Amino acid sequence: MASSNAVFLIILVLAAAVFSFSAQRLVRFLRLGQGTHRFDALPRRIVNLLTIGFGQTKILRDPVAGTLHALVFWGFVVLQLGAIEILVAGVVPAFSYADLLPVPVYRLFLLTQDVTSLAVLVAVSVLLYRRLVVKPRRLQGDQVHGGDAILILSLIAALMVTLLLTSGAERVTAARAPAIVQPFAAALAIVLSRMPDSLLSALHGVSWWSHALLILVFLNYLPYSKHLHVIVSLPNTFLSNTSGPGTIGTMKAMDLDAETEQFGASDVTHLSWKNLLDGYACTECGRCTAACPANMTGKPLSPRKIVINTRQRLSEVAPSLVGADDPMSALPMHTGPRDDTDSGARDRRLLDHYITEDELWACTSCRACVYECPVSIDQLEIINELRRNLVLTESRFPEEIQPAFESMERNGTPWAFPASDRAKWAEGLDIPTLAELLERNERADVLYWVGCMGSFDERAQKTTVAFARIMKHAGVRFAILGQEEACHGDPARRMGNEYLYQILAKQAIETLDRYRVTTIVTACPHCFHQIGNEFPQLGGHYEVIHHSTYIEQLLADGRIALADPVAQRLTVAYHDSCYLGRYNAIYDAPREVLRRSLPVVALVEPPRTRDRGLCCGAGGGRMFMEERIGERINVERKKELLATGADAIAVACPFCMTMLADAGKKLDSSVTVLDVAEVVAQHLAEGVTAVPRDVA
Amino acid sequence: MRIAVCIKRVPDMDVKFRIAGHAKGVDETGLKYDMADFDGYAVEAALQMMEKEGAGEVVVVSLGPDAVQETLRKALSMGATSAIQLKCDEVPFDGFAVASALASELGGATYDLIMFGRMSTDNANGVVGPMVAELLGLPVVTACSKLEIVAGRGTARRELEGGAEFVAFDLPAVVTIDEGIARPRYPSLKGIMAAKKKPLATKPANLPEPRLVIARMDLPPERKAGRIVGEGAAAVPELVRLLQQEAKVLA
Amino acid sequence: MTHILAFAEQRGGALRKVALEAVSTARGLADGQDGEVHALLLGAPGIAAHAESLFEYGADVVLVVEHDGFAQYNAESASAFVADRIASGAYRAAIFAASAMGKDLAPRVAGKLKTALASDVTSLAREGDAYVVTHPTYTGKVIATARLLAKPALISVRPGAIPAIAKPRTGRVEKVAPVGDPAKSRVVVTETSTSDSKKLDLGDAPVIVSGGRGLKASEHFHLVEELADAFGNAAVGATRAVTDEGWRPHSDQIGQTGRVVSPDLYVAVGISGAIQHLAGMRTARTIVAINRDKDAPIFKVADYGIVGDVFEVLPVLTKAIREAKKAQG
Ligand SMILES: Cc1cc2nc3c(=O)[nH]c(=O)nc-3n(C[C@H](O)[C@H](O)[C@H](O)COP(=O)(O)OP(=O)(O)OC[C@H]3O[C@@H](n4cnc5c(N)ncnc54)[C@H](O)[C@@H]3O)c2cc1C
Ligand code: SF4
Ligand code: SF4
Repeated sequence: MASSNAVFLIILVLAAAVFSFSAQRLVRFLRLGQGTHRFDALPRRIVNLLTIGFGQTKILRDPVAGTLHALVFWGFVVLQLGAIEILVAGVVPAFSYADLLPVPVYRLFLLTQDVTSLAVLVAVSVLLYRRLVVKPRRLQGDQVHGGDAILILSLIAALMVTLLLTSGAERVTAARAPAIVQPFAAALAIVLSRMPDSLLSALHGVSWWSHALLILVFLNYLPYSKHLHVIVSLPNTFLSNTSGPGTIGTMKAMDLDAETEQFGASDVTHLSWKNLLDGYACTECGRCTAACPANMTGKPLSPRKIVINTRQRLSEVAPSLVGADDPMSALPMHTGPRDDTDSGARDRRLLDHYITEDELWACTSCRACVYECPVSIDQLEIINELRRNLVLTESRFPEEIQPAFESMERNGTPWAFPASDRAKWAEGLDIPTLAELLERNERADVLYWVGCMGSFDERAQKTTVAFARIMKHAGVRFAILGQEEACHGDPARRMGNEYLYQILAKQAIETLDRYRVTTIVTACPHCFHQIGNEFPQLGGHYEVIHHSTYIEQLLADGRIALADPVAQRLTVAYHDSCYLGRYNAIYDAPREVLRRSLPVVALVEPPRTRDRGLCCGAGGGRMFMEERIGERINVERKKELLATGADAIAVACPFCMTMLADAGKKLDSSVTVLDVAEVVAQHLAEGVTAVPRDVA
Repeated sequence: MRIAVCIKRVPDMDVKFRIAGHAKGVDETGLKYDMADFDGYAVEAALQMMEKEGAGEVVVVSLGPDAVQETLRKALSMGATSAIQLKCDEVPFDGFAVASALASELGGATYDLIMFGRMSTDNANGVVGPMVAELLGLPVVTACSKLEIVAGRGTARRELEGGAEFVAFDLPAVVTIDEGIARPRYPSLKGIMAAKKKPLATKPANLPEPRLVIARMDLPPERKAGRIVGEGAAAVPELVRLLQQEAKVLA
Repeated sequence: MTHILAFAEQRGGALRKVALEAVSTARGLADGQDGEVHALLLGAPGIAAHAESLFEYGADVVLVVEHDGFAQYNAESASAFVADRIASGAYRAAIFAASAMGKDLAPRVAGKLKTALASDVTSLAREGDAYVVTHPTYTGKVIATARLLAKPALISVRPGAIPAIAKPRTGRVEKVAPVGDPAKSRVVVTETSTSDSKKLDLGDAPVIVSGGRGLKASEHFHLVEELADAFGNAAVGATRAVTDEGWRPHSDQIGQTGRVVSPDLYVAVGISGAIQHLAGMRTARTIVAINRDKDAPIFKVADYGIVGDVFEVLPVLTKAIREAKKAQG
C-alpha cells in the first residue's frame, strides 16, 4: 500500500495548498475593509464563543431546525477527531488512536463517532427534506443559494454514509472493540460479513477513499460557498460586537475631524473588515429577516439581503482591487459579479447598485436581526454606516426628516417646539431645576432627564408628571434641567447625522458636567440608552437608570404607599421597548412594576415578547419618517397586543406610547395604552408618604 | 451664468423674544441664528440653476458684522462658489441704506441674475430687492415662486392675491424669491468641510446715513392662548368678529 | 412740499378697499395741517368714474391717468409715473397700500427716488419733522416703532390696519397725461390665472382649512372645501388620519411627516392636535380650532376655539365668512 499512501500524501498536500491559497485570498479581501479593534473584552468574547458558538444558543431559538442544525454542528466537532485519524492513516497506514489512547477512552471515541455519524445522517436527511419538500419561507428570497445548500447537505450525507461503510467494513476484517461501542457499524458489519472477501476489501477501499477525498473536496469547496460559515462562524462570534448588555447596540464611534471626504460607507471598502467577515459568515438562514419588523410588513428591507449583498459586492470588486495579486481574478465565482461580462465593477458600489435607499430608511434599528443571528452578524452596523454616508456625504434622505434635523439644531428637539416651552409641563408642580438648587446651595440625589417627547408631547407629558409624582411621593430628592435640557442627539445619530449628534451630545455632556451630575433617571429608553451607553464615547460618564427599574426599586424598598386596589382587576399586556429589551436586557423591571402596583393584575404576553418582542416601528428615526411602503408596523404590533384580550396595554417608552396609541385609533380600539409609571401613579395612596421627605 | 444671492442672517423666529435693555432691538441672548427663510429658497434656486447648467457661479453676499460669515459659510456648504461680506457693525433697519450698500458692490461686477428673498424674516420690510434693481437700472420680478432661465431669458411665476401671473424677461435682472420655489438643501458634512476652503471676501459696507431708524421695539400685547370663543354655531359671529378685528386675518 | 399723495389701487377696473384705506390714511395726516390729499388713480379709460368714492374718503384732488396701458398693473410704467409725480415736488408724503401690488410698487418708487420707505406699517403719526410708524417684525412677535426722516416720506400701510373712514370732501378731478408709453415693460406678463382656476399650494396659501378624523367620512370633506372656498385664498389640508383613510391625497397631509406650513390663518376642523400634526402648523400666525372635545390638545395651541360639532358649526361659519368677504369687496 506504499504507493497509494504516497498518492494520498500528494493529494493531501495539494488540497492543503489549494485551501491555504483560498484562505489567504479571502483574508486579502477582508483587508480591503477598514480597521476595527476586536480583541478587547476577552472574557466576554470567550463566553460568547462558548455559548453562542459552541453552545449554539442562538441556533436553538428555532426549536426544530435549530436542534437539527445544532446536531450537525456538534456532530461536526466530534467527527473532526475521526477525520484527523483518517487523514493521518492515509499517509501512515498503521496510525490509529487505539495505540495512543487508553482502552476506555478509545472506546468512548469509537462510540461517539459511530453514534454521531448516524445522528448527523438523520439530521441532514431531515434538513434536506425541509429544503426540498417543505421549503420554509425564511429560506427563500434575497438571491439565497438554495442549490448550494442542497449540494452541501448531500456532501455531508455522503460523508456520513462512507464513514459508516468504512467502519462497518473494518469491523468485519478486524474488530478493535466490542460491538456495543460501535452499534451501527456492528449492525452494518453483520450485513457486510456475508460479502465475499474481495468485494468487501474493494468496498472498504472505495468508501475509505471516497470519505477521505470528500473531506478534502468539502474543505476546498467551502471558501467558495455560503458554507464558508462552517469555518468562519466561530471566529465571527468571537470577534462580534456583542460584548454584553449595556454596550450592545452602541453605534460605532466616529472621528469627524479625520481628513477624509468619505463619511460612512457607500461601498464595501468603507466598511470594517468585520462587516466584511460578516458577509463570509452568513449562513443565509434568514432568521434575521424573519424577525425584521420592516420585512414582515412588506418593506423592501431584508437584513439577510444586506449581508449577502455585502459579500456579493466584495467578491465583485475585490479581485480587481487586489489586482495582480489575485490569480483567481480570471475565474468566475459563484458569488461573483451579477454580470460576469461587465467590467464596470469599479463603477458600481454597494449603495444603489445592491442596496437601495428605501431599504436603508426602512430600518427601525430594533436589533431583532442582530439578536437572532446564530453567527453573531451585525446587520445593523452595515445599515447605519450606509445611512451615515447618505446623510453626511451625500445629503440624501427622506425629505420629512430635514425639519427634524433643523429643529434639533435650532430648538434642541426634533419636534418643532421652542426650547422655552420645554419645562411647561412642570409649571405649578414645584419641581426644582438644578440651576435653582445651585442658587439655594442645595443638591439633588438624581437628575430627572425628561427627554423631548416627555417634555413636548401632550400624551407623554402625562407619563412625565406621573413619574414626577411617584418620586415626590417616595421622597426622592430630584431635579430637572428645565430649559437647559436639550436633545442629546440620539435621533440624529440613528438617522445617520453623526455631525449633528456630536454637537448636541457634547453640549448635553457639558451641561451635565457643569452641574456635576452623577445619577440620572429617565422615562425614555432612548435617552436611557444614549446617555448611559453612548455618551461614554464622547467622555460623558453617568449612572443612568430607567424609570421602570427605578420605580421597581422604590416599590421593593417599600417607599411607595399604594392605595388598596379594591376591585381593580386588570389584564395587562406589556409591550417591550427595543431599546430597553434587546439593547439593555431590561425585561423584568417593567413587568415587576405592574405586578407590584396591581396585586390583582393579570399579565398576559403576546406571542412575540421579551427578546423576541416586535418593534413598535418608531426606532431608528422612523418616528420622523412617513411609512409609505407596506403595512404599518405599529398596526401589526397593536393587533398582536389586542389579540391577547388585554384590557390595557402597558409600555415603558414614550415612542411606543405614540405608536401604539396611534395604531389604536386606526383600529378603532378602545383599549387604553398606559405607561407603567401611570399605572403606579394612579394607585398612589394620596396623602400617605411612605418615607418622610428628606429636606436638605 | 453668474448669479449673486443676497442673504441675511436672522434669529430663529420660533422663540419668545425679549426686548433688549436699550429698547431698540431684541435681546440676543440665547437666540439661534440662520439664513432668513426666503433667502434660503433663493440660494437653493440659484444652486439648482447652476447645477442644471453644469457651469457658472453663485456668489453669496451678506451685509453685517463678522457673525454673518457663519451664514455665508452655510451657503457655501450648500454649494455656493464664493462669498462676500459687506462689513458694518449693525444692519440698518432702513432698507434703502442696505440696498445702496449692496448696489454699490453688485454694480461693480457683472451678474446675469441678482437674487433676494422676498423679505427678511426679522424686519419683514421686503424692499431691498426692488430698490437694488432700481439703483442698478435693472428689471425686477418680485415674489417668484417658480423661475427658469433659458438662453439668457427668464420666465417666472409670481404669486398674487387670489391668483398668479407668469412673466418673461431678459437678463440681467433682479428677482425676489417667494416660498414654494425650492426647499433649501441640508448641507452634508462633506459640504461643510469643503466650505471651509472656499473664498470669502470681506469689504467695508458703503452705507449712506439711514433715514428710517428704530425708535423703540415692543412686544405686542400677549394674546391669551387657547381661548374658547364659545360653543356650537352660536359662537360663529363672535369668531368672525375676532378674526376681523383682533387677528386681522380676513383682509 | 405740502400735499400728500395716496395711491389708489384698482383691479380689473374696480376700486379696491385698500385704495380707500390709503386715502383715508392720507386724510388723517393732512387734517389740521395745510396741504391737500391727492389720490392717484391709474387705469383704463373710464376709471375716473371712481373719483367720487375717493372724495368720499377724503381726497381733495383725484389725479386720473386714463390709458389702456394702465388697465392692468404694469410695475415699470406705474412706478416710473408715480416717481415722476412725487419728484415734481409738491408732496411731503406718499401713501401706498402694502398689498401684493403695493409691496411691488412702493419700493420701486423709493428706489427711483433714492429715498427710504417705511413698509407695511400698522400705524403712523406725524411727530415734528418726522413720521413715526409702527411695523410688526419678527413674524409679528415684536412691534418696531421707527422714525422716518426722509423727505418726501414714502409709506406703505398694511391692508386693514388703518380703517377707511368716510370724510367726504368736495374735490376735483385732474386728468393727467401719462409719461412715455404705459404699456411698455422689460418684464412681460404672458399669462395670468386666478386662484379658483388654479388650486392654491399649501405652502403659498395665506389661509389653510384642515380637516381631521372628526369629519368621519370622505363624503363630508366637502364641508372643509366649502369653507376654504369661502375664504377665497385658502388651501385645504388634512391630518394623517385623513390621508391614511384616503379621504385626501398624501400631498395634503400637514405635519411632521407631511407638509410644514405657516399660513396667516389655520382652521383645524375635527383635529385632535397630536404632536405630529402640531409640528406642521404650530407656527401659523392665527389658529382656529373646531372640535367637540373641549380637552382636545388642539385647543392648547389655538388662538380661538369653538367647542362644537363640525357638522353644525361648519356650514354656519362658511356662510359667515362668505358674507364677511363680500362686505370687503
Ligand atoms: C410616525 C408618525 C408620523 C405622523 N405624522 C403625522 C403627520 O405628519 N400629520 C398628522 O396629521 N398626523 C401624523 N401622525 C398621526 C398623529 O399622531 C395623529 O394620529 C393624527 O394627527 C390624528 O389625526 P386627527 O386629529 O384627524 O384624528 P383624531 O386624533 O382621531 O382626532 C379626531 C378629533 O375629532 C374630534 N371630533 C370627532 N367628531 C367630531 C365632530 N362631529 N365634531 C367636532 N369634532 C369631532 C375628536 O374630538 C378628536 O379630537 C403621525 C403619527 C406617527 C406615529
Ligand atoms: S434592526 Fe430591526 S428593522 Fe433594522 S434590519 Fe434589523 S430587524 Fe430589520
Ligand atoms: S445574517 Fe445571520 S441570521 Fe441573517 S441570514 Fe445571515 S446568518 Fe442568518
